[in-house]
Amino acid sequence: MSNGWPMRLLIVEDNVELAGLLAKGLKAAGYEADILSTIDEANTVLRTTFYAALILDLGLPDGDGLGLLREIRHRNIPMPVLVLTARGGLQDRVHGLRSGADDYLVKPFALEELIARLEAQLRRPGHLLGGVLRIANLEFDTGNRQASINGQPQLLSARETAVLELLMRSKGRVVSKKQVEDHIFGHSNDISSNAVEVYVHRLRKQLAEMEAKVQVHTIRGVGYLLAENK
Amino acid sequence: MPRFKSIISRIVILHVVAVAVTSILMSLALSWLLNYATNNIHNQAMKKQAIALAEHLEIQPDGKLKLSLTPDLQGLYSQPYGRYSYAVIDSQNRVVFSSLKDRVPLFPRDAKSGDVEFLQRNRGDATVSGASVKRVVGGQTVWVQAGEDLDNRDVLTDDIVAEFFRSVGWIILPILFILLVIDIAIFRRALKPLRQASQIAETIGPLRADIRLPTKEIPREVRPLVLAVNQALDRLEEGFRVQRDFTADAAHELRTPLSILRTRMETLEDQQVGKALLNDIEGMTRIINQLLDIAELDSFVIDPHEEADLRMVCTEVLEFLAPLALAQGKEVALVGTANSVLVRGNAEMLNRAIRNLAENAIRHTSPGSTVEFVVEENGTVSVLDDGPGISDEERDFIFQRFWRRDRGMAGSTGLGLPIVQRIAELHTATITLTNRKPRGACFSIKFARLSA
Repeated sequence: MSNGWPMRLLIVEDNVELAGLLAKGLKAAGYEADILSTIDEANTVLRTTFYAALILDLGLPDGDGLGLLREIRHRNIPMPVLVLTARGGLQDRVHGLRSGADDYLVKPFALEELIARLEAQLRRPGHLLGGVLRIANLEFDTGNRQASINGQPQLLSARETAVLELLMRSKGRVVSKKQVEDHIFGHSNDISSNAVEVYVHRLRKQLAEMEAKVQVHTIRGVGYLLAENK
Repeated sequence: MPRFKSIISRIVILHVVAVAVTSILMSLALSWLLNYATNNIHNQAMKKQAIALAEHLEIQPDGKLKLSLTPDLQGLYSQPYGRYSYAVIDSQNRVVFSSLKDRVPLFPRDAKSGDVEFLQRNRGDATVSGASVKRVVGGQTVWVQAGEDLDNRDVLTDDIVAEFFRSVGWIILPILFILLVIDIAIFRRALKPLRQASQIAETIGPLRADIRLPTKEIPREVRPLVLAVNQALDRLEEGFRVQRDFTADAAHELRTPLSILRTRMETLEDQQVGKALLNDIEGMTRIINQLLDIAELDSFVIDPHEEADLRMVCTEVLEFLAPLALAQGKEVALVGTANSVLVRGNAEMLNRAIRNLAENAIRHTSPGSTVEFVVEENGTVSVLDDGPGISDEERDFIFQRFWRRDRGMAGSTGLGLPIVQRIAELHTATITLTNRKPRGACFSIKFARLSA
């Protein structure tokens, strides 16, 4: 961990088994988690103890977790809240977010997803800072911004590097064209309409020449996605 | 009996009919009464005249009768005046005295005649009506008759009868009309709480099922109906609540164990086994999600004021599905307008509908080809694949729950298209299905475009 000590999180979840498993998974990612199972307990503990973030289940034995969420917002506790719920209903998402949740995950969720969302909320580069992103035989060191294939450092232009870093950080997810644009040009206005395509095309060509076993997919009308070759 | 749409018009029409019938009957009754009364007055007057005449009869020593009238009585019965006449008849039916020149009886007399009789007879052009009174004067029985020529009758009595309809009769109509106006006003006032209740009832919908009609001001006669409506609303609300509760409970009971299972696998030491099992869990999660969706959609209602950006929704669906499509060697693309397309609807539901269509298309398209999403400015979204298309026989089945073309096909639950159809229904959107040449299917949903 970069900070030296683990961040403390609070899990409010009435299912003891799930809470225990979450705590275990979070511990592996470098977090220390306390577990409470009722709104009442959480209200009391939050008066005296500071937590970096709250993972809140909505269906609790003594009421709706959204009540606790409103109470926290009312008391102006500056703590990101990640809501977990079994209600994947059509109107639940809007409802939960309006009540002040920072993010929302429907059960069953991937632990990896939970940690990623948590780190986004904590505005923390997480355990990837200074670390190495890896897809197939392609590696990217976020510390010195160096891409290497099969352990061999590769030479890429600054903008190609920027595109690659963004795609590798969003591994497995679609990055919109707008995001790429903002990432490599900032908010400058005079970008030619196909500038992004040009850089992606170059990067794709370079990766192929370097025999990287990855592919930059174009999702027409939406964006790009970096994935391992099949 | 004609059917009336409104209580007021029923009251007005029936009231007008009642007024007409009442006016006629009342006039008939009044005129009969008036005639009866005038006749009665006339008969009594004639009887009195006959009795008065009889008092002037006396028997002379020679046994003959003598009638000595006072001058004013002579004037009353004088020929020029002609209005009244009299005759005295003896037991041999001879006319002893008469005011008439031809000395005829005013009325024929027979043995049966009683003490007092009221009679009427036509004589020439005139009609004479009067009374006959039996008297015994000095041992002789006589009948004194007094009559009045009806054509010359008392002008005052005549006027009352003649003027009755012109003056009194016409007063009835305005009175009845005023009554009608007052009636309408009373009914309108009485129905006002009902109108207010109707306005409140208009705002009741599945989204506002908690509203009840007010019973406080409602007239007692209508209150049972209002109470029954309120009770029906209670039951409806309860039905909605039960369904929602069931879906929420089912979601919790199904998803929490899945969550535990999934997290347990992700924290397994042996990641190889974990990966295979994770795939199973994902499949199961999909089925459970679709089942819960369809259960929720059965009792779901859209807020009519909601709006969604169709193009944005499609982008979200593609971002979500692109990795899955690519993992199967298939591609997805969003074409059509690049502008936002605002439609009436719930963004989350639109997302589910389009996602289900897209998952279907991706499943049926062959590796190496592309599933295209087309968003049009008119609020239409189409999903195009190059799969086998939909045969005419299948068209009837594809929207049925749990129907599957190939039961062995992985990932298909038979719930995707029913969800799409239900969401389209809720949005009053139309689904069009066409087959593409040379192969493939195109599902289009047209939503109501929001006027900018």
